[in-house]
Amino acid sequence: MIPTLGHVAVVVGLALALGAAAAFALAGARGDRALFGLGRRAMTVAFALAAVACAAMIISLLTHDFSVLYVARNNATTTPPFYSVISLWAALEGSILFWTLLASGWAALVLHRYRSRLPALMPWVGLTLALGVAFFFAVMVWPGDPFVRTTPVGSEGNGPNALLQNHPFMGLHPPLLYLGYTGLAVPFAFGVGALVSRRTDTEWLGVVRRWTLVPWIFLTAGIVAGAWWSYEVLGWGGYWAWDPVENAALLPWLTATAFIHSSMVAERRGTLRVWTHALVIATFWLTLLGTFLTRSGVVASVHSFTQSAIGPWFLAGLLLTLVAGLGLLVWRLPELGDVRPPGSLVSRETAFLFNNVLFLGVTFAVIFGTSAPLLWQAFASETVSFGAPWFNRVNVPIFLALLFLMGVGPALPWGGASWRTTRDRFALPVIGATIAVLASLALGLRQPAPVVTLGLAAFVVAIMAEEVVRGARVRVRARDEGGPQAAWRLATRNRRRYGGYAVHAGIAVMAVAVAISSTLAEESTAGLAPGDEMAVGAYTVRYDRLVVEPLAADPRVTETRAELTLSGPQSGPMAAALRDYPNSVAAIATPAVRTALGEDLYVTLLAGDAATGEVTLRVFVNPLVAWIWIGGGLVVLAAVFAIWPERRRVAVDVPIRAAAEPDTMVEAGA
Amino acid sequence: MPTLRAWRWLAIPVLVVPVGWLLFTGLGRDPRDIASPLVGEPMPAFAGTSLEGQPLTSAELAGTPMVINFWAGWCLPACADEHPVLLDAAERHAGELQLVGVLYQDTPESARGFLARYGDGGWPTLLDGGGEVAVDYGVTGPPETFFVDGDGIVRARHIGPLTQQVMDDQLAALGLAS
Amino acid sequence: MSRLAVPLAAVALAVLVGLAAFVLVQPAAPRTAAEQAQRLAAGLRCPDCEALSVAESRTAAAAAIRAEIDEQLAAGRTPDEVRQSFVARYGEWILLEPADALAWWLPAIALGAGLAVLGGWLLVGRAAPPGSQPSGAISESDRRRARDEAEALDA
Repeated sequence: MIPTLGHVAVVVGLALALGAAAAFALAGARGDRALFGLGRRAMTVAFALAAVACAAMIISLLTHDFSVLYVARNNATTTPPFYSVISLWAALEGSILFWTLLASGWAALVLHRYRSRLPALMPWVGLTLALGVAFFFAVMVWPGDPFVRTTPVGSEGNGPNALLQNHPFMGLHPPLLYLGYTGLAVPFAFGVGALVSRRTDTEWLGVVRRWTLVPWIFLTAGIVAGAWWSYEVLGWGGYWAWDPVENAALLPWLTATAFIHSSMVAERRGTLRVWTHALVIATFWLTLLGTFLTRSGVVASVHSFTQSAIGPWFLAGLLLTLVAGLGLLVWRLPELGDVRPPGSLVSRETAFLFNNVLFLGVTFAVIFGTSAPLLWQAFASETVSFGAPWFNRVNVPIFLALLFLMGVGPALPWGGASWRTTRDRFALPVIGATIAVLASLALGLRQPAPVVTLGLAAFVVAIMAEEVVRGARVRVRARDEGGPQAAWRLATRNRRRYGGYAVHAGIAVMAVAVAISSTLAEESTAGLAPGDEMAVGAYTVRYDRLVVEPLAADPRVTETRAELTLSGPQSGPMAAALRDYPNSVAAIATPAVRTALGEDLYVTLLAGDAATGEVTLRVFVNPLVAWIWIGGGLVVLAAVFAIWPERRRVAVDVPIRAAAEPDTMVEAGA
Repeated sequence: MPTLRAWRWLAIPVLVVPVGWLLFTGLGRDPRDIASPLVGEPMPAFAGTSLEGQPLTSAELAGTPMVINFWAGWCLPACADEHPVLLDAAERHAGELQLVGVLYQDTPESARGFLARYGDGGWPTLLDGGGEVAVDYGVTGPPETFFVDGDGIVRARHIGPLTQQVMDDQLAALGLAS
Repeated sequence: MSRLAVPLAAVALAVLVGLAAFVLVQPAAPRTAAEQAQRLAAGLRCPDCEALSVAESRTAAAAAIRAEIDEQLAAGRTPDEVRQSFVARYGEWILLEPADALAWWLPAIALGAGLAVLGGWLLVGRAAPPGSQPSGAISESDRRRARDEAEALDA
């Protein structure tokens, strides 16, 4: 009964979303506010129905209703409730359901927020969002029904993928990513609205800023969380393998970041508008492409059994979106102003232009590398695939150039800089960068990537610091505030700018951490008998004993655990394990990680023989890895700071004849 | 310029057609249809023990067309889906076709459980505990099937579960009537 | 503009040099047999993983390949021969770094072309044709919005 309810909710949701789309189209064409309100309410109900469908699926999972094929494939009677719930997004059909929930949620929220504003834009915004939501409902009604039944009904299910059950973090990482993906439909919808209604001035950009940054924050958090999970849980010692699923998340992040920057130029200077529109269309399209590539089986890890009927639907959706988005852009191209280069070469506009090109370069490289199997199959008869070495070789130089721009952009003024200004602004940071480079060379660092990264990161941080100091100094002089207080007040009254600077600083921290941890890691693999020791870097790891027993938390799981003692800069007991889950042949690694600010000591159990007690251990010393997560956290916090509502200044008109004080500016509470 | 304004519409087909074609052909092509470099070469030899505990070598099986099927008890639902196709082939072509299973990263107990549940067609299964046979054949994961002709030359490889259509086509290519 | 040309050119040159150095810099040749085995394993894709190398992966297939790499190296084969033997069984995709030179040059050429177009446009395209709309003028959409809001006020 409950699965049927879920299915009915999906069908009705589709009808409502399509109806809303029609209402919005008419409302936009005729300027009919009543129709707009109708469409808006329909989308709210569609969201409620998506919630009902999700609830139905969750209940089916919790009650282990194996008459539902999805539950039979992804759940078992022994699955703990927490993992039953998060199995909602464990596999293809369920994740589409979850996506639909979030997409319809964003739509309902945006439409509610602007229900009585922006009358020219909103019908088209609503139309775009409604069509997107309708598409995903349609996928669930036809090729990818999550509630499809199976007969005969088994008494036991396959259970969730062992990787899913191994760590509660799987409750957090996919929702963060999906909130990011689905949220990026909102700026796209506003872009469409602006193009259709020919309101391509700065109005939609002011509105869209927060609606872009919030999903961007989620997407960033999701990507960093995924890297963290890969590192802490998967046990291969790294955090980013450039595999198709990771790349699928990175692609829209790249164009979204470029869009955020490009829209600043469009908002302030009115130029780069074609870029800005193109980037927001590309961002949304890439969220769909990523889903298509990894869910349809087109680019396989050779054994992804996800080839299903959903593939052709996604392909159609992708192509339609491409035609529509590109068509709109081309149609309204004349509205988007003259495409002329910025007046001065050494200006913030030029920096942003290079920024766009470079981000596009990385995007192109990642798309190329990820879809290489497709290209080679189409043109040559063999299959080729690109791994991490290729991606790193190609992308690292571009990222370094972007790092450079990250420092240069904020320091260059709009409109152009004279040689004197440039010299003054950049003198100290360049000196700082040179010192950093020399210091790292002196400390024995010889590889080009980390040395350059350190120099550029110092450059960026120095510029950011200089900006804060210069601004604070003005306040100190003008208002007689203390230095730190001035800096804080400055930042909180210009959250957008200083939040942005803090984000840049966080990225610089992550860049250094990534560069150092990927080039200076030490590693050693050894076979050990009980009592043997192995030395890696400044550490000694002594293997004590092998314990094979069921997990206390989940007795179905057998854990083979190597107990170790660590000595060195960090010391104490450690345990690296392999866990055997009942429905998986490959044991799941549970590495032992000792984290300190300077470095991580990371131990993976590769193999353990219970009979002889011999184990194969792989030990890594990974410097500065903790700073990747710290930097990521800094980026997220800084971005939240940047979009936090400021205390608004409200201009109050005081009739001239009654004016007793000249001061007409009143600060209203936030 | 008036002509520039008209030209801009070209951007749409210029971008959409290649992207669409690429993705479409990608969908049409089975990503698991990777040409094996072993096709056209003599089959790699193997020697080991069967699931039943008997010695099993490729030499003793030579002379008849072979279907070498890499499988595992945990490979569900794919290996279960293709099993009826194998059973049918074993029955219909008894005497003129040799089926051999190779167990991929699995235990004998799990394999026996699978056969008990899905049917034991009577053909031998080679135990490949160290994984060397899988490496010799360039196997990427179960199920994967190799079609070898009577002279011991590999004719085709199929990645993924076998369908009746694929089995019929490949057996026909080996010279066996349906 | 001419005063900035020199520093700009210097920056551009530095960038180009850096890029070239990066693409061409090769890691140092391995010295011991263990390093050779490690380097080979790091360059082979693990057949049943998602984007990991044989060196990084824990699966049985990866372990079997590592064992075979050790065996072949001990038997005296060169790293290239070992690599070729795996390509002969798995196909080109077993290599993490594609051997096809085009795979390396295509993105570099594309990015270079993009930057060249951008640079050319920035330097040459700044001679704007006369009669084009100065950026200070009110755009059509601003005009439209102003008219709409004026109408709304009257309503």
